[in-house]
Formats: sequence, structure tokens, C-alpha cells
Amino acid sequence: MDDIDAMFSDMLQEMDLLTQSLGTEAESLPQHNPPSIPAPQEMNFSIGFADFNASLHDLEDNDLDALMADLVADISATEEKFATEREVPKGTAPVPPPPVQPLSNYSLLTFTDTPKPTTSSTSITAPPPPPSFKPSKEDLEEQMKADKIKLALEKLKEAKVKKLVVKVELIDGSSKTLMVDERQTVRDVMDNLFEKTHCDCNIDWCVCETNPDLQTERGFEDHENLVDPLSTWTRDSENKVLFKERKHKYEVFRNPQIFYLWKKDKKSIMDMKEKDKEQLLEENFCGPSVIVPDLEGVLFLKEDGKKSWKQRYFLLRASGLYYSPKGKTKASQDLVCLVQFDNVNVYLCKEYKNKYKAPTDHCFMLKHPQIQKESQYIKYFCCDDGWIMTLWVTGIRIAKYGKQLYDNYKDAAKKATASTTWATRIIQASPSSSSSSTPSPTPKVKATNGHASQPSDENKGHDKQASFPPPPPSTDFLPPPPPAPMVPAPPSPAPIATKSNKFPPPPQFPQSFLPPPPMDDLPLPPPPPEELELPPDFLPPPPPSFASHRAEALPPPPPDPVAFIPPPPPAPQNSVSVGGAPPPPPPPLPPAAVKPTGSVRKVAPPPPKRTTPQLAAPSGGDFMSELMTAMQKKRP
Amino acid sequence: MATWDLSVTVEDLGPDAPPLKVSVTSDLHIGGVFLKVVEKTQLKKDWSDHALWWEQKQQWLLRTNWTLDKCGVHADARLIFTQQHKPVRLGLPNGATLKMRACFSSPVFRTVMGICRILNIRRPEELSLLRPVEEKKKKKDKDSLEEVYDITHLPLSTGSGQILCNGMPAHFAESPKTEDAYKMLSVSQPSPPPEAMAKIYRPASVVDKTHIHSRWLDSSRSLMQQGMKENDKLSMRFKYYTFHDVDPKYDAVRLTQLYEQARWAILLEDIDCTEEEMMLFGALQYHIGKLSLSQDAVSSSQGMDDLESALKSLEVKMVGESNSTDMLDNMTAPELTDYLKIFRPKKLTLKGYKQFWCKFQNTSICYYKSKEDRYGEPIQQLELKGCEVAPEVNVAGQKFCIKLLIPAPEGMNEIYLRCENETQYSQWMAACKLASKGLTLLDSSYQSEVKNIQSFLTMQRSNSAAASAQTDESINTHSLVSPRYHKKYKPKQLTPRILEAYQNVAQLSLTSAMLKFLQIWQALPDFGISYFMVRFKGSRKDEVLGIANNRLIRIDLGVGDVVKTWRYNNMRQWNVNWDIKQVAIEFDGNINIAFSCVNADCKVVHEYIGGYIFMSTRSREQSDTLNEELFHKLTGGHDAL
Repeated sequence: MDDIDAMFSDMLQEMDLLTQSLGTEAESLPQHNPPSIPAPQEMNFSIGFADFNASLHDLEDNDLDALMADLVADISATEEKFATEREVPKGTAPVPPPPVQPLSNYSLLTFTDTPKPTTSSTSITAPPPPPSFKPSKEDLEEQMKADKIKLALEKLKEAKVKKLVVKVELIDGSSKTLMVDERQTVRDVMDNLFEKTHCDCNIDWCVCETNPDLQTERGFEDHENLVDPLSTWTRDSENKVLFKERKHKYEVFRNPQIFYLWKKDKKSIMDMKEKDKEQLLEENFCGPSVIVPDLEGVLFLKEDGKKSWKQRYFLLRASGLYYSPKGKTKASQDLVCLVQFDNVNVYLCKEYKNKYKAPTDHCFMLKHPQIQKESQYIKYFCCDDGWIMTLWVTGIRIAKYGKQLYDNYKDAAKKATASTTWATRIIQASPSSSSSSTPSPTPKVKATNGHASQPSDENKGHDKQASFPPPPPSTDFLPPPPPAPMVPAPPSPAPIATKSNKFPPPPQFPQSFLPPPPMDDLPLPPPPPEELELPPDFLPPPPPSFASHRAEALPPPPPDPVAFIPPPPPAPQNSVSVGGAPPPPPPPLPPAAVKPTGSVRKVAPPPPKRTTPQLAAPSGGDFMSELMTAMQKKRP
Repeated sequence: MATWDLSVTVEDLGPDAPPLKVSVTSDLHIGGVFLKVVEKTQLKKDWSDHALWWEQKQQWLLRTNWTLDKCGVHADARLIFTQQHKPVRLGLPNGATLKMRACFSSPVFRTVMGICRILNIRRPEELSLLRPVEEKKKKKDKDSLEEVYDITHLPLSTGSGQILCNGMPAHFAESPKTEDAYKMLSVSQPSPPPEAMAKIYRPASVVDKTHIHSRWLDSSRSLMQQGMKENDKLSMRFKYYTFHDVDPKYDAVRLTQLYEQARWAILLEDIDCTEEEMMLFGALQYHIGKLSLSQDAVSSSQGMDDLESALKSLEVKMVGESNSTDMLDNMTAPELTDYLKIFRPKKLTLKGYKQFWCKFQNTSICYYKSKEDRYGEPIQQLELKGCEVAPEVNVAGQKFCIKLLIPAPEGMNEIYLRCENETQYSQWMAACKLASKGLTLLDSSYQSEVKNIQSFLTMQRSNSAAASAQTDESINTHSLVSPRYHKKYKPKQLTPRILEAYQNVAQLSLTSAMLKFLQIWQALPDFGISYFMVRFKGSRKDEVLGIANNRLIRIDLGVGDVVKTWRYNNMRQWNVNWDIKQVAIEFDGNINIAFSCVNADCKVVHEYIGGYIFMSTRSREQSDTLNEELFHKLTGGHDAL
């Protein structure tokens, strides 16, 4: 375990460097690299951990596994990009930890970075130190892991994309650790989380940040990028990321009358017919401009760093939050604008009666997201009751985000319904297939994942098609359907060749390379057509994912298949071993995930958003499978 | 059958000509009367547009196959043989007056359709006609002196086809005069001088706002029936505030006029807004005005056909200038460097501005003690991404400061950068503005941003330098805001505020700027409410009823508060008792309300409610054909059908 910790810290460090170096030249990286020695203290970028050491300790095996899965997926994704040009890492990988190699890699990296070819030549994980390696010695395994991690790190660097390792706490106190890249929206991250947890994917789920200093909590909106707000946390921040249900998240779309007809008597609000609700939504959200609920009323305000709470009569308008000064009317021209919403977010505050002697505990604040501590620039509001607070907080969100909020909701609702149907189906289809680390519930989870992961509507459609058809029988799963070998075959050889050539150092595992090609063919499954459409998001159900991957990945990774084949049993086993901890994402198809992303990238060069999550899900990538096998052996 | 003499006045014979006596029988149909009249005049001309108007009964005899008997015409009838289409002076939402022919014989609803067809305005059901303001309100007596665009000679049959010629509907392209008229219709008009604006009538209260509704013409009756005469002045306005399917591609005129109506509603305080909103409206007006001018210039010099290419070359020029070449030359991001004065206000210190060597790179500013130190560690690096940027400018005082509020975990850091001159200011300001949005100097919008800031400063300079000598180019900021703010702020106080708002909209295209203006307008809480003074049944005081596209609201005049809201979707039925002029409405849950109208005709209220319900039926059916019958059914009341 120590070793693992070390590796991990090492890895984190690397990532830290990576992120930090984003702004700067890539060249600087190499110097810091010497991966061999972890410098845990410096790690700041693991979000959710009080300090680095803590984070290490916090990490359970499961977490590690999951994280690794993510990482690998990411890496393979990046690898794909460079696959064409690259030789590399693979060679290094097998070899233990020769520090020198990394350097060379880095240099490579710097070069490669700029081009960022979108080509989806998925040379992915060619390196796959095949199963043959299985050698039982723990040391060996450890080394392998280390190597792989290093490899992963190197690859990570290639992508100049900012990534964060985020620890997400669940309500039950447990946590999941995942990697989030800067292009991922909260929606993507949630899809990932759906995959990793067994929750139903209802629309109330929400990723939130808490700030213990300020005693605040804010639910991220689905369209936001997660990395941005997290990056503004201070290094010593004790802020946390939570994953939980918040029933007010989309309440306005389920019961718009509560917000838009808040002046009406309770009864008529409760009795609202569905048809009328729809019309309300249409009127307020589908016109040329979104109509903000006409909220007004007395709230307590604390501002300018003062200690007192003052009552003011507030009015909400699309252009901002206003109050009517004493002695003036509520006429528009007399209103004073307290704040406009462009630069502030709304946060819920907890226990402000104690903290700031607020009149009630129903408080919220408006502040710039970067402000993390008490400041005169924060405006605090206190409401008479929780209901009123919900009205205002929701109203402000509508004013700030407008139609986007409605789009988020529609998206979430679609996914929620899709996931339910899926879950059932998938379960039937591939019960055992899920090699995912998650124990019993796995199948379900994955199913959900699949849905959730699909970000865009189109995807859904595709996914379904793709996943279902291909994923044949449940058991078969491991040995990927033999069918469509042809597709992958052609591409696979090419990549391999290149790799082998390039690798100067591929010492131990040359064999592995060789074997892969044939293997690949075999496993390479099926459904080519779907692939195209499959969006990167597609994480889900293992079987389907496979298919999808292959298809998409056409070019792909011969290696993967290889890995697969041998370890078929391992995957399941892994799950068992991992089983203890819920989080571990299935080691599966990192490459696959990557590939899809790769395809996506074509559009947008940078790495695919979804990569991380997806990686975790399905089939075992080379890395993963190896890793898994190694671990299994370790704990026989 | 007995023949008798029918007296028919033919207008074409001159005002003093005596009525013609035509001998007819009671079973002669109207078409026959036409014939006889025409024969008797012995005038050779196109009579096809003529018809008989029965003065005493105030009705047209349009059914040519009906007999006189059936129409109820007897020997005592005084008929007038006159044209159905007569010229009117049509006041448009943009304040211009257009002389054109309109149909006096069909219901106003259809007359408006005809006008809109000629003017190329889609969705005519949203507009209607108003009687002119009575003279005492002196809307403008000088109107007659105003330039009037005359398009009376345009053929009435003109279709609304989308055939474009010189960038305008073909029928407008036939002469320079009509081209001018089209330009007036489709391009936003320059802002009026504030003095003129101050003289225009403005409603001072909700009660004042109810008066306009006494002026709407009845959609189900003809102009002639409503007492309009040839060459009378009429106003055309968007009446129903629900604008279906606005598409800039087809709606050049509609969009412009809609914008103009919205703009005047804001300027004349017809709809209230807050100061912040007013500044944004002002900024958008400035922007739209500027773009419209330049568009005008381009088109006049090169013709509308070349507009596209001209715009394109302009674009290329701007982008090219910005730095695409530099970009290729050296891949390093461009930077701004200069000596600037920096000031960080702190509690209990009175330290002033201190000069530093500043370097703007990517999205941050580094400053050094001097130029010589620039390779060392900066004294500080300010990351501007996500910060707030505000101008602190006084051209007259030669003060060009940029106020930055840079967020940090502990709060916001307030920092002022003082520039030496306009050029420096506009460069740094533009850079800060872009950086706050996460954009670098490389962004293609940088140069235009710089230009925008400069032109705005120029405007301020001309204001403060010579307030008396207003040239055409200089726009007085006062003309961008309503008179209320003329009193509150001097132009030089107003300019920085508008400038601040302007920075957020400066990148919009003409069309998007107009759409944005409309969007903000439509998001105002009071948007789209038409006010009527009414007296509710059982109540002894006058109250105000607001009619919007989805609801009715009852407003207490004493307090000015909304007392009650009823939504249409809860409405069971509504009807009018024409005898006692009372509108009665029944809502779900046995809620009944009834009221009579104090200053407008209850037909207008009825039409408004029915009209909105009609408008709401449109979205569902996609067809472009207007269901006229349904409109009249919903708005006409019992007497109409």
C-alpha cells in the first residue's frame, strides 16, 4: 500500500504541476518531473482533501482504483491524440521506474502538445503489458502499477488540459474520487457520478460546493464548468464538493406556479393543473426573453462588512436586485440597484443566527465566486422562512441564468427518464458483464451511467441503439463478441507498428505488442455504425460500451482487446476485490471511452470531456485490466 | 316597377358639383347603379376602386349583386360615389409620417393588413390604427411641416412577395423617393434632440396611460364608418404585445418599427424602468444609432447591393488590422506595455497615484518599478479574468481612469489605473474589458473594442466642449435617456454611465442589438400591460384594469398596487352588455367580474382581451394565413357578426 500511496502522490504531484503549468510554457514541466519522489506537501490541487497527506490517507483502495481508471481513461484519450506521432510511453511503462525515460517523454510532450492532432487513430494503450505479465510477485505488480501510473502521468501532461482530482462526498459520508477536466460541465461530472454510485438518476441530484469558513453551500448549475469554480478555492481551503439531492434545484420547472404565482393563495397554487403549469413555463421561459418571477418583499440585509441586519423592501428584476429606499415608492425609477447578477453567485448560508446574529437561519448571500472568506463585498440576506428564501434564491438563479436553466432541466429530465428504462434493460442484458468494481449493484449503476453519461439528446438515441444491439448476452461479455474484427483490425496493426518502432526502450514487453494484433481482431466487436454517432459521453453499460468503443475506435487499440481476453476472469474478480468499496469505477474500457472522445475531438481538438468517467466504466483497458489483475493477485 | 331618382354625389366631379340624379328601380342591383353613375359623369377614368357610401346610414354599399331594395335604399338616400382607397397620413412607430393610400371601406383589421402588405410588415394582426392625438395635447402641430414620405402612387395590388431588388421589396425600388421611404421604414432613425423630446407628451401616471386607449379604432368597422376622412392623420402602432416569430431575415421593417416603438416607450416614460436599465437602453440606442448611420453611409455610396460586400471588406479590414498578421509573425501573444499610474485605495491612507511600468499580457497586468526592471519579478501581477472593469473618465478634466475590482479569496481588490490620454486609455481599457471575460489581446474583437471606446470618448468630448454647438455627428447623451434623467444628470455625468453599460453591448451587430433592446424591454415587469380606467361593478371608485397577453390585473389607483390578477387560462367566457356598456368575465371557480369603462369604449377592452386570445392561438398552428374570421369572432362582440 505504501507504494501505492507513493505512486499516487507522485501522480498527484504531476497533475499539480500540470495544472499549474497550464498558463506557462510546457517546457518547464520536465524539470519538475522526476516522478520518483513524491512531494506530497506541495500537492494542492486535490480538491476535497484538507492537505495532501490527508488525501492520501483518505484514499481507499477503491478510490485509488477508481481514480486510476479515470486516469487511465484520460491518458488513453490523450494518447490517442498523439498516437500517430508518438512512440513512447508504452515502452517506458513496462520498465520500472527509470527516471530518465520520463524526461525523454516530456520532451516529446512539449513537441507534441501543440499539434494536438485530433486523429482518432487509437493507438491507445498499445503498451498493454499483456496478461502474460501476471507474474505473481507482488513487487512486480507494484512496479507495474508504478510504471503505469507514470505512464499515465506522462500522457496526462501531453494534454494541456487542466484537470483536477476531486473528492466528492456523498451523503452517507463516503466519498468518490474522480478526475475532472476543465471542459467537463457539471452535467458531465454528474453523469460520471451516477455511474459510480447507485443512486437513481433523478433530476434533483446536484453537485454542490461548501465553504466551512462562510458556512455556505451552493449547488452548481448543470451547464457550469466544474474546474473553474474549484480553481478559485484557496490552497488551504477546507471547501468540499458534495453530491446530493436538492429538491429545490428544479422545483421551478415542476411547479412554476409556486414562483410565478406566489402571490396567489396556497390553495389555488396547490391545485394547479398540469396543463396550466406547462403554459406558465411556456409563457415565462419560451418567449423571446425569460420572465423573472416578480418577487418583492422585506428581507434583512447585511452588507459592507457591517454587523447589523437592516430591513429593506426588495424587488427582483431581470436586471438585478433592487430595493426601494425609505420614503420612496416602489416605482421603477425610484428603485436602487443593490447588485446585478453578472459577477455574483447565490449561496445558501447555514446557521447564521449563531454566526452573524441573523434574525433567522434562512439566509443566503450574493458574492463573487472567488471570494472565499468574510468580506465587505459579500451581501447577506435573511428571510423570514425557508420558503421565502427558496423563492428568492430560485428567482435570482432565473435572473442570472435565464433560459439556460430551463435547458438544463429539460436535459436532466430526459436523462432521468432514459436512465430508468435503461437500468432495467441493461440489468437483464448483462448482469455479470459489469466488471466494474462496484459490487452487487453494479449492473444497475452502470445502466444508469450509460444514460446519464450521455450528455446530448442525440447521444441518447445513439447510445441506445449502440449499446443494446451489440451487447449481446450477458455472460459473453468478457470475451468480447468476436464479430467485427475486421473493423479494428486494419487500424490496429498500423498503430502497433509505429509504436514498436518508436519505442526504444520497450524492453520487457515486446511480446505483448506482437500478440495484440491478432487478439484485437478477435475481440473487436461489432457495431460500426453506431460508433460514429456515439458521443464521447457514452460511458455506460459495459457491454454496450464495448461495442460502441470498438466501433468508434475502429482504429483502436489492438492492445486493449488483448488485455481483455486474457484477463476475462480478472475483471469480475476485480470487482470482487474492489467490491469492498463502492466507488471504484469499473476499470473497463478506458480506451474505448477515449476513442469516443477522440471522435468528438475531431470537432473540438482538445481532449474529450467525458473521458475520465467513461474510462472507468466498462471493459478493462489494458492498463486497467492489468492493474486489476495485479491487485487481485495481491489479495488472493 | 316604378322608377325613381337616386341622388348620388360623385366626388370626382369636384366639391361643388351638384349630386347626380340617377333614375333607378328598386330591383336594380348596386352594380347597375355604378354603371349608370359612371355613364352619367361622362368621365373617362378608372372607376374600379369606387364604391357607394351611404352617408346617413354610415355604411358602404359593397355588395354589387344586392338590389337597392335589399339594401334598404330609397329615394331619400344620399349616396356618395367615391374611392375606397384614400390617402392618409400615417404616423409610424418611429415618429415619421408616411402618406399612403389605405382602404376606407373594409374593416380596419383588413385595412391594416393592406397597409402592412405594402410596407412589408409581417404579422399585421399585431398592429392597429389610432386616431390622432387631439390638438390640445399638441402632440405636434408642426407635424404638417415635417417631412412626409409619400408613397401614395404605389399600386394597391402590391403583394408582399419577398422579391428583393436593391435589398428592398421590388415595389419600393422603383424611384429614389420610395427608396428613401423604405430606408426610413427599415433603418432606425437618429435620436431626437433632447429639447424636442422634452416637448413631446409624456404620460405622467397610470391614469394618463389609459388615455391612449380611447384612440384605438374599431377593428371590425371601416375607416369611413369611424369618421376618418381623406388625408386624415392616423397612427399605426403595435397594439398586442406578443410578437410572433420575429425573424430578422424577413422582418427588416417590422423589427425596426418594433424597436422604434419600444424605444419611444422608454424615452417617453410610457413604461418605467430603473436607472440601470435606462443606461443599458441608452447604450443600446447609441450603438444602434451608430451602426444604422454607418450602414446608411455605406449603402448610399455604393448602393444596397454592395452592402454585403462592403460590410465584409470592413470586417476583413478590422480583423486584419487587429493582428492576424502579427499573430503569424510571432506566435507570442501581443502585449501592451507602458507607464501607467496605479492607485490602490486603502483605509487610512491618502497615498495617491504612483507610476509603474505596466505590462499587459494574456489576461493579466504585471507592473514593475520601472521599464528597466521589466525582466525581473514584477511588483505584482493582477489577474483580470473575472474582474469587474469600470471606467472613471472625465474628458473635460482629462481624467482617464480604469477602475478594477479584482476578486480574491478575501474580497475584492480595488485598483485604479490612470492613463495619460484617450489613446492609451482606450487600448488599456479594451484590454481590461476583454481580459475580464477571459479573452486576450489576440482576440479579434480587440481593435473594434478600442475603436468603440474612442468613438464614445469623442462623443463625450464634443458634448462637454460645445454643448451649444451640437453637430450632427455628436449625439447628446441626453437624447438617449428619458427626460427624467435630463433633470437628474448632466450629460457629462451621464456619459460614463452609459459608457459603462455600452461596453457590454458594443460587440453586438445591428440586428442583435435591436433584438437585445427588445428583449430587455420585454423583460421589464410592466411590459405589455395596457391600462384602462374602469369601474368595477359594485365599486364606487375608478380603478385601473391592466390587460396583458396572459392576464388581467386590477390596480388600486390610491396605492398603485396590483390588487388582483386573473389569468386568461382560467377564463371561462367573457361578454359585453352593449346596452349598459359593461364587460362581464367569468373565471374558473365561479369567479365573476364585471366592469364598465370610464374613458375608453368597452369595445376596445373587449377587442384587447379577444385579441390576445386570438394571438395565443397562433403559436400552435403554423400556417401563415391569418384567420380573420376567428379574429372578428373573438374581438367583435355580438354586434359584429
